[in-house]
Amino acid sequence: MSYALTEEQQLIQQSAREFTREYIEPIATEMDRTGIHPSAVVQQMAEHDFLGLYLPEEFGGTEAGYLSYVLIIEEISRMSGAVASILINHASLAAYTMYRFGSAVQKQECLPALCSGEKLAAFALTEPGAAPGVGSHKVIATKEGDHYVLNGHKCYVANGGVADIYVVFALTNPEAGAKGMSAFIVDAKAAGLSIQRTIGKMGLRGCQSAELIFENVMVPQSNLLGAAGAGMKIVKEAQLVASVAEGAQVVGIAQAAMEDAVKYGKQRVQFGRPIAAFPAIQTMLAEMATHIHIARLAVYDAASLIEKGEDFMKEAAMVKLFTGRIGQSALIDVIQIEGGYGYSQEMIASRFYRDIKGAVITESSAAFPEKVIADDLLA
Amino acid sequence: MADMTLTHEQQKLQALAREFTAKHIIPVASEWDEKGEFHKFILEEVKNIGLHCMAVPKEYGGPGCDSVSQSVVMEQFGYGCCAFATTLGGNGLSSYPLAIAGTDEQKQLYYGRLVAGGMGGFALTEPGAGSDAGSCATTAKLDGDKWVLNGTKCFATTCGVANIMVVFASTDPSKGVKGLSAFIVEKERDGFSVGAVEHKMGIRSSNTVELLLKNVRIPKNHLLGNEGEGMKIAMKTLDMARPIVASMAVGVAQRALDAAVAFAKAYLDVNGKPIGMQQAVSFKLADMAIQVEAARQLVRNALRLKDAGVPYTKEAAIAKTFATDTAMQVSADAVGLMGNYGYSKDSFVEKLMRDAKVTQIYEGTNQVQRIVIAGQLLR
Ligand SMILES: Cc1cc2nc3c(=O)[nH]c(=O)nc-3n(C[C@H](O)[C@H](O)[C@H](O)COP(=O)(O)OP(=O)(O)OC[C@H]3O[C@@H](n4cnc5c(N)ncnc54)[C@H](O)[C@@H]3O)c2cc1C
Ligand SMILES: Cc1cc2nc3c(=O)[nH]c(=O)nc-3n(C[C@H](O)[C@H](O)[C@H](O)COP(=O)(O)OP(=O)(O)OC[C@H]3O[C@@H](n4cnc5c(N)ncnc54)[C@H](O)[C@@H]3O)c2cc1C
Repeated sequence: MSYALTEEQQLIQQSAREFTREYIEPIATEMDRTGIHPSAVVQQMAEHDFLGLYLPEEFGGTEAGYLSYVLIIEEISRMSGAVASILINHASLAAYTMYRFGSAVQKQECLPALCSGEKLAAFALTEPGAAPGVGSHKVIATKEGDHYVLNGHKCYVANGGVADIYVVFALTNPEAGAKGMSAFIVDAKAAGLSIQRTIGKMGLRGCQSAELIFENVMVPQSNLLGAAGAGMKIVKEAQLVASVAEGAQVVGIAQAAMEDAVKYGKQRVQFGRPIAAFPAIQTMLAEMATHIHIARLAVYDAASLIEKGEDFMKEAAMVKLFTGRIGQSALIDVIQIEGGYGYSQEMIASRFYRDIKGAVITESSAAFPEKVIADDLLA
Repeated sequence: MADMTLTHEQQKLQALAREFTAKHIIPVASEWDEKGEFHKFILEEVKNIGLHCMAVPKEYGGPGCDSVSQSVVMEQFGYGCCAFATTLGGNGLSSYPLAIAGTDEQKQLYYGRLVAGGMGGFALTEPGAGSDAGSCATTAKLDGDKWVLNGTKCFATTCGVANIMVVFASTDPSKGVKGLSAFIVEKERDGFSVGAVEHKMGIRSSNTVELLLKNVRIPKNHLLGNEGEGMKIAMKTLDMARPIVASMAVGVAQRALDAAVAFAKAYLDVNGKPIGMQQAVSFKLADMAIQVEAARQLVRNALRLKDAGVPYTKEAAIAKTFATDTAMQVSADAVGLMGNYGYSKDSFVEKLMRDAKVTQIYEGTNQVQRIVIAGQLLR
């Protein structure tokens, strides 16, 4: 790896590696089995300053930069994609949205608690059956005096039910459809906000997903995040920022899976030699190593752009597009290399196979990678 | 709608299997996947329609279905649940060695048990002998008029509940592959026991176990064919079985496609239109359909050659590889296209993606298929 990481970045990477070994490795398998949110690990992440790593010091963050942050995501993902998802939803989606689009007062009020770990955040966009703001369960925010009143359903909200604070997207102008969407900061304890159910997932189990019901939830006007009607623009930017972290998640999972396949391939003997000696196996390994390497460079590059405050949308979308393809195929090949044994629920490869699919699923249509890239090319 | 490329008889069987699948398999498949327990009760039902031992010839009391008919039925069962299809496919597979090398007496015994509703198993794989099936460590020694079997088999489908099976053992370890022989072993033989049960990522309600053979004594006439013909019998068996696995895979892929199409018609995009109206989505569906149809026709082609009595080894391996790769790709695409819903346990497609992976591994990995295909090409 020749990508020039600074000494500080290397130290952060190293500490995330140790963190993962100490706090995540012992619980990762059990967490996958139970699907229970690992609150102790989240507290440890807070103590290690991971939760606000890239946010400015003035808001309680560490100001170590977005690249350092994705290095942590990559390390954590080598053991648990689920813990990485908890962090991404907290830091790249919810906290990022508040940091980028919040008023000075909102930032002062919310971010320090998110950086310290006093509060965990979530990003509530998705709705059942249709794109947000479109279907019959859409969340509508009706203005009443100095409050908005929210009604509707959100689903697949990661950290849902365990978060203390939600960034919620709701229609302030229902006639305009999805274009009339706005973002709000909503306290999890707000009256009328309830958790309908948690949702079972194929993988990333432990990063709890929930369905939220809003029944006349009163939200002060001062909790409107960004301009009224700016929802789609906010979603696009936040999801693309998160895409880069998800790219790091894919790289981390795929790297760990590949290392597992290498180890297995060296020790599994068939036809009198280690299977890693067969060109067919070597080709699979060589291709995934190449893909992971290129993906990692693209992730670091896009993270650097975000860190420097430069245009990053196209590069972030490229990360999403590329890691989506290569992450999936890497895990299909890893299990293939490990044969019938790799297919066992008890082998780590089968968890990685399920987890990586969650990491590569596309964000909403606002941030559709092909569309974002093509729009940029054709502008 | 009837498939007009099939004979009238085959169409009738297809309709019967489809109805059975809708009534008895689809409603319970998710529950049994979750439990990971063997679905014995579906077997009871399938006996009622006489499709539990399709390969057994009429003169032995079976339905004596031709290969295309078996394939058509197995595609339907695969559509319903790949685990259940694997159970029935494995049952058929276990009976093929009899068709290849069985004497009338052996057929009476083996087919008799299957017709009566017993299940069969096929135990070739061992911890040290996967793709390299010839390096079998289980031994069979003649002691008077009995064969005495010793060794451990693994990944044996249905063998935890089967009551008769074909077990491969070496009658002359010094001869390697040429020392391999095939035997009929009934479950009640002393010294026969079931070891560890495999907990798998997918096809979870299919029973996969280890078999422990400790001085298992079986009559001399339980040897199939001659001593040393085991490998030949195994290879011919797998030729026959591969298009059946491929048929199940076509069913899995078709199910994924149907789910994706239904989703694309129902799920509304930001503009309130079904996402299927977007070219990015409709072209993806078309790509999936191209693969599914091509896979189905490759399978039928291999089986028509087989039923015509001409060589079909290469075509069977091609069909197995293409159809199982299709099941993998199309199920993964369906999860991606259906996004968070596809990834959740609310949908069925995440199960399809877990199930599909094994089809690329068992009955000869897709690398082994290439060895077979290339072997035919380079002869
Ligand atoms: C593990 C996991 C965690 C998640 N966590 C959260 C969360 O915390 N909060 C939250 O709000 N959501 C969450 N989601 C949902 C996710 O972020 C997206 O919102 C969702 O996958 C799809 O967005 P959508 O509902 O807007 O659908 P759409 O954007 O309408 O797309 C639905 C599907 O249609 C297809 N499609 C649509 N438009 C196009 C196009 N132009 N080109 C090609 N294909 C297209 C895509 O295949 C897409 O998957 C999570 C999802 C997963 C899998
Ligand atoms: C759910 C399940 C059910 C099964 N049911 C049965 C059953 O009923 N009866 C039975 O006998 N077996 C059964 N099997 C075993 C199955 O057939 C084997 O898993 C399969 O043959 C591969 O063997 P392996 O898992 O030991 O992998 P290995 O042979 O160790 O292969 C590991 C990897 O090396 C590759 N490889 C191996 N040799 C070569 C080579 N020469 N060139 C290139 N690549 C190579 C393989 O393709 C694979 O990618 C089952 C397996 C599973 C998972």
